[in-house]
Amino acid sequence: MACPLLVLAAYDAGRVMEAAALRGPRVAEQALALVQQIERSGTQDELQRLKDINDFFNRRVNFREDAATWGLADYWASPLESLERRAGDCEDYAIAKYFSLAAAGVPTARLRMVYVRARMQGQSLAHMVLAYHAEPGAEPLILDNLRPEVLPASQRPDLTPVFSFNTEGLWQGVGQVTAGDPLARLSLWRDLVAKVRSEGFL
Amino acid sequence: MSLMRQIAWLVLAVVLAALVGAVGLSTLSLRELMQTQLALKNADNAQSLALALSQQQGDAELIKLLVSAQFDTGAYEFVRWRDAKGATLFERSGAAPQGQSPGWFRELVPIAARPGVAQVSSGWNAIGAIELKSHAGYAHDALWLASRRLLAWLLVVGMVAAVAAWAGLRRIRRPLDAAVAQAEGVLAGSYGQVAEPRVPELQRLIRAMNAMVQRVRDLFEAQAGQLLVLREQVHHDALTGVSTRKHFLAELDAALQRDDGPVVAGLVLVRLRDLAGLNARLGHEVVDDVLLTVVAALQAYPESVPGCRVGRLNGGDFALWLPAEGVAAETAQALADALRASLPAFGPGVQVALGAVELPRERPSNVWLGEADAALARAEHLSESRGGFVVDVMAEPGVGREQGEGLWREQLREAVALQRGRLVEFPVRDRAGQVLHLECPLQLQLDGAHQPASSWLPLAVRARLTAQVDLFAVSLALQAIAADGRARCINVAPASLADAAFLPQLRELLGQAPQAARGLLLDLAEAAATEHFDRLLELGRQLRPLGVKLGLEHAGAGLAQVEKLYQAGLDYVKLDASVLLGVAGEAGRAAFVRGMVIMLRSLALKVYGEGVVDAMDAQALWDCELDGLTGPWVTASGGV
Repeated sequence: MACPLLVLAAYDAGRVMEAAALRGPRVAEQALALVQQIERSGTQDELQRLKDINDFFNRRVNFREDAATWGLADYWASPLESLERRAGDCEDYAIAKYFSLAAAGVPTARLRMVYVRARMQGQSLAHMVLAYHAEPGAEPLILDNLRPEVLPASQRPDLTPVFSFNTEGLWQGVGQVTAGDPLARLSLWRDLVAKVRSEGFL
Repeated sequence: MSLMRQIAWLVLAVVLAALVGAVGLSTLSLRELMQTQLALKNADNAQSLALALSQQQGDAELIKLLVSAQFDTGAYEFVRWRDAKGATLFERSGAAPQGQSPGWFRELVPIAARPGVAQVSSGWNAIGAIELKSHAGYAHDALWLASRRLLAWLLVVGMVAAVAAWAGLRRIRRPLDAAVAQAEGVLAGSYGQVAEPRVPELQRLIRAMNAMVQRVRDLFEAQAGQLLVLREQVHHDALTGVSTRKHFLAELDAALQRDDGPVVAGLVLVRLRDLAGLNARLGHEVVDDVLLTVVAALQAYPESVPGCRVGRLNGGDFALWLPAEGVAAETAQALADALRASLPAFGPGVQVALGAVELPRERPSNVWLGEADAALARAEHLSESRGGFVVDVMAEPGVGREQGEGLWREQLREAVALQRGRLVEFPVRDRAGQVLHLECPLQLQLDGAHQPASSWLPLAVRARLTAQVDLFAVSLALQAIAADGRARCINVAPASLADAAFLPQLRELLGQAPQAARGLLLDLAEAAATEHFDRLLELGRQLRPLGVKLGLEHAGAGLAQVEKLYQAGLDYVKLDASVLLGVAGEAGRAAFVRGMVIMLRSLALKVYGEGVVDAMDAQALWDCELDGLTGPWVTASGGV
């Protein structure tokens, strides 16, 4: 049924567990670990949260192309989907980290998904990372799956930023959003955000 | 509110609700669609602008230039560049262009699209956000146009639907009106049938009504048939079928009393001589044939002339009443010629004597019969010497108008034109002696004296003045009713009914005195029902709403033959004296009257008796349960 599911804009651990339970006991187990991690991180400073969440996903999710995981050329997976497959490509890492950090209480204004050009072994490839700005204008910290540690941007000369975006302004002016609204799913990012919200993140 | 009006309003309300609902819902959903599309456009434009700005390495001038370019080449309410803390760094904004849609429409259905926001970066640095919002005016114009077009289309569809509904209602209405008219007719005593409609519910209703009406008709016809048989037995001679002595004498009395006959009339007596001798010589059966031959000759007259009466007075004596002046002698001669031709076939010795008299109608019946008997005796005396067929005619000399008819007619016209006349009043009383209404024959002032209708009515019929005379009488009655409030009854001649101008004038007259009209009764002769039935129906249809009551007067033997009496919608019937006279003395006559009363009651008619002359008859008629009586005895005794 295409009943528009009304989603409140807030992290809800219970709803995350419900959504995970629907995907099976294995996912529920992973989700429980994530929820516990988010709960633990919530009491720590932001730098520690960055490290915890970065390590959580770098450890549990293996890099694999979307074509192999989903059978699609490009697929933006939600955190639960990545945990279900235990696999993802660069944007799936960034997505999972973005929403988990947001759930752990990091303001989304400080987080940015960044399209970067990465140079690896003399090759240039399109890549996506998560950048954390402690202050506006300050040098960001980069959360990446190519290099598992959290590093300032200046220590990543292999990355050239192209364009950044986040969820700021995406839902401005409305407290509620209908996850079933077909027009809200017109881009990969919007589609994903709607999906993640329905799973209880954000 | 009537059923039809309720349905019409309902249809109108439904069509309007559908119209308003459709336009409203469509406008609202269209607005929803436009709002979403505008928000998406805002977001996408902000995103692509931010993408371009992020490639400028944070060059503020270049960024401002790009923002200006975007603003100038698009339809934006504002394009704003803010720093990471939310402070505006650069903004272009402009007033909304004047749209085509009116202000009230924009206020009624506002289009509020969210602005689009996108992050701008320079390398790793976040350098704020782009926020922009498109004008909603164009969307409003489109919405306004679409709503108007939809409204116009739906109005057309609504009008087509209304026309179709109206036609449908008319289709339903026709049989419904017919059913209502039939029901009202039944209430008014008119048992008409209507065609069955095709609508099933109405069809069942009409079928039931028609069946009910048919049953009433059958009942009525059965009663009428029984009455006819009874009448044959009571009033008619078993052998010849003409009136019995008693009935003929009653008919004669009634004919002499009624006011619309001629001044002078005739009576012919026919006697088959030596009946006892003939019986002995020829035998009963042959004599019966002889009697039938005589009657056959006599019956030719009532069959061709209305008002003629034939009776068998006793044995071989027959009487023929001729309600016309100057025809008695030639009728007697013609009868004699006819009998002379047919009777010799039965052998010699069959002799007939005829006596005829012509007298003023105002003479009492015993004078008439005495004079006629004398004439017959003279004829018999003559036939003693001559044998065969003898006729003696006695006409009273000096009968008739001394003046010419032309002068008399002039006086009649003048009396009507100058309204010289008066109503005389005879009460119709119920059993308790209460006056039900007053019968008011008109007397016109002619020759300086008030003359009763019997002296001028035949002339008025010939001169086609009856309609004016009747209208004059009605106007006098209305004045009298207005003065004392007592109900009055006026005779209307059948000839007036045939006059096309009569009914409209009567309506106008009644319309001038609506209060008094409620107390007016109109008497029509039986002839009106037999000869002008359609006119009678029309009269009832037009006058009944005014409160005027209609009835038949001088109703007697002919009543059973009035076709569709159940459809005429009358209020009362006055039984003729010829039916009523002598009821006290003869059980059969009383039975006939009782049968008439029962039949007429079943049609919801009131029954009154005319020309009652003695208390015995009155008592017998009360026993027959008549509603009221009139006549010399009622006027004299007060009805008790």
